[in-house]
Amino acid sequence: MNDFTLGDILLALLHGLQWTAILSLTAFVLGSLGGLIILALRLAHRPALVWLAKTFIEVFQGTPLLMQLFIVFFGLSLGGVEIPPWLAAALGLTLYTSAYLAEIWRGCVNAIPNTQWEGSAALALNRYQQMRHVILPQALRMAIAPTVGFLVQVVKGTSVASIIGFVELTKTGGMLANATFEPFLIYGLVAAGYFLLCYPLSLYSRHLERTLHVAR
Amino acid sequence: MSYQFDFLAVAREAPELAAGLARTVELTAVACIAGLLIGIVGAVCRAWQLRPFNTLFAVYVEMFRNTPFLVQLFFLFFGLPTLGIDIAPDSAAMLAMVINLGAYAVEIIRSGIEATPKGQIEAAQALALKRWQIFLHVVLRPALLRVWPAMTSQVVIVMLGSAVCAQISTEELSYAASLIQSRNFRAFETYFVTAGLYLALALLLRQTLLRGGGRLLKRGRP
Amino acid sequence: MSLVNITGLHKHYGPNHVLKGVDLTVRQGDVVTLIGRSGSGKSTLLRTINGLESFDQGSITLAGQTIGSRDAKALQQLRLQVGMVFQQFNLFPHLTVGENIMMSPRVVKGESPHILREEAHALLAKVGLADKFDAWPDQLSGGQQQRVAIARALAMKPQVLLCDEITSALDPELVNEVLAVVRQLAQEGMTLIMVTHEMRFARDVSNHVVFMHQGKIHEAGHPADLFSRPQTPELQNFVSAVM
Repeated sequence: MNDFTLGDILLALLHGLQWTAILSLTAFVLGSLGGLIILALRLAHRPALVWLAKTFIEVFQGTPLLMQLFIVFFGLSLGGVEIPPWLAAALGLTLYTSAYLAEIWRGCVNAIPNTQWEGSAALALNRYQQMRHVILPQALRMAIAPTVGFLVQVVKGTSVASIIGFVELTKTGGMLANATFEPFLIYGLVAAGYFLLCYPLSLYSRHLERTLHVAR
Repeated sequence: MSYQFDFLAVAREAPELAAGLARTVELTAVACIAGLLIGIVGAVCRAWQLRPFNTLFAVYVEMFRNTPFLVQLFFLFFGLPTLGIDIAPDSAAMLAMVINLGAYAVEIIRSGIEATPKGQIEAAQALALKRWQIFLHVVLRPALLRVWPAMTSQVVIVMLGSAVCAQISTEELSYAASLIQSRNFRAFETYFVTAGLYLALALLLRQTLLRGGGRLLKRGRP
Repeated sequence: MSLVNITGLHKHYGPNHVLKGVDLTVRQGDVVTLIGRSGSGKSTLLRTINGLESFDQGSITLAGQTIGSRDAKALQQLRLQVGMVFQQFNLFPHLTVGENIMMSPRVVKGESPHILREEAHALLAKVGLADKFDAWPDQLSGGQQQRVAIARALAMKPQVLLCDEITSALDPELVNEVLAVVRQLAQEGMTLIMVTHEMRFARDVSNHVVFMHQGKIHEAGHPADLFSRPQTPELQNFVSAVM
């Protein structure tokens, strides 16, 4: 195995895994904020805003993440300024996450029965108060499990950032595979690294789905 | 900013894009059919708890749903040759897509099968239907109909995910885009147009699957 | 004096003409019951009174104020005066019984939590659920949930209370505990407009019964006259079918 010991390899992969986690978390946190904004537009009573949100969601759910990263990467550098891969990756993944989370959350808001809207309307709550005190608290509870589930998609999605040159787990694996000529071992370890991040999240999401599905 | 957009530079490469698009469609079609078959077989094994296949499928599903498609692709394309199995880029891409979609399909179809109301099966038993007849007509077909929208979304996701196959030089749509931008130095315009093509394909694919699948599964109904 | 005044009310659902010119006057302290077959327009009529349904023609006035504006502010003003209890209770499952009752006065009127808490306890005692303040809606029977829903509506101190088939979703043995609460409200002088299938209750409690048929008021009057001497064949059929 040339000059690399297994320890060297594991250490390097662990370093890559760390960047995968950081990128995932960044995209998830910023994407949640973005998702809330898109959700607010989507639920607004103004056709233009609704159209805007729908189009945003449609575009980001209907194009490959790789193309989104390329467009952000090359689009931002159009002015002649070279932008670092991490910035393009974080921005691209944030937009992608916003679109998916907005759609997931809208599904939860829609799942609240119409009678809850009527019941609160009859108590003289206005639309904002209905949202704030009746609909969102219930929708939020429903949203937790699918949101955690989507975090798995975000973690896996960060692997695409390797293609624009961000050095995370997959990119680290690629470099190691080239240097050691042991692609089978290296990519096996890389897959194991993702699995270690994703599988607990999947399990947790399923657990939440079972326990949180009751109304209260 | 004094950048001058030049989309004509992309338009001139239309044949290249068309060829890439055709390959993407081809890969997706194979993945869709094979993935669906894997999904049905796996879902039956899981739902009926056929040992040891239910465990094997459970492991398969978890392994492939919790790792990135790109890594699966690299593992197949770069990893298998070290075991003495040589694999062409096209085959690796196709295999990866089939296996990936299959893993999701097992879970999706299983949830559909498990949502079958008990009364439906009891009613069918009371009508003296045989076990396989009950499965086919009372369990499977309604289950597929139930989960078809979810299945459709997953096929679209796999189609979009196939854009990374260019990394192992499968000549699909994003490969064409990379080639074009390396010739015309118009990366932004090229990827912008290509993204538009993917979007159109995604919308078309979703419509086709929803309509076609619905019609096929509801056949014989008014 | 008249509290609710409805004149010439028309409503369409697409091609269906569901209200075809309804006139109705409700005075303070009246207990009005709307009866009729399903699809006769009685629930729709009730729901227009607090703006859950819009209407196409005619007018509704409440204490002299005209309703009908679709603007959100006016709707909220209207709903401050008109309480409503639904067939399916529509309690908020994420709030306790006490919170269900206090939420709206706190949020909409900005009343102090301290006073609200006392009022909520008093209302719960009134509907016979004094010990359920901290319970969750899904821990209660249907009859108990419906009594909480009544307390919740009363917490807004409405001038009129609308009751939309409030016993239809209940098991038969739970109907009476809810009707007893409504009966008590009627005795205390609360203005009530109800849609109900409980004909005996309608006859005992209300002072005005309205029989709706095909989107119109077909016959109306004091329950004693209406039920014992129905004038039209449609009401005769209806009465003999349900009583």
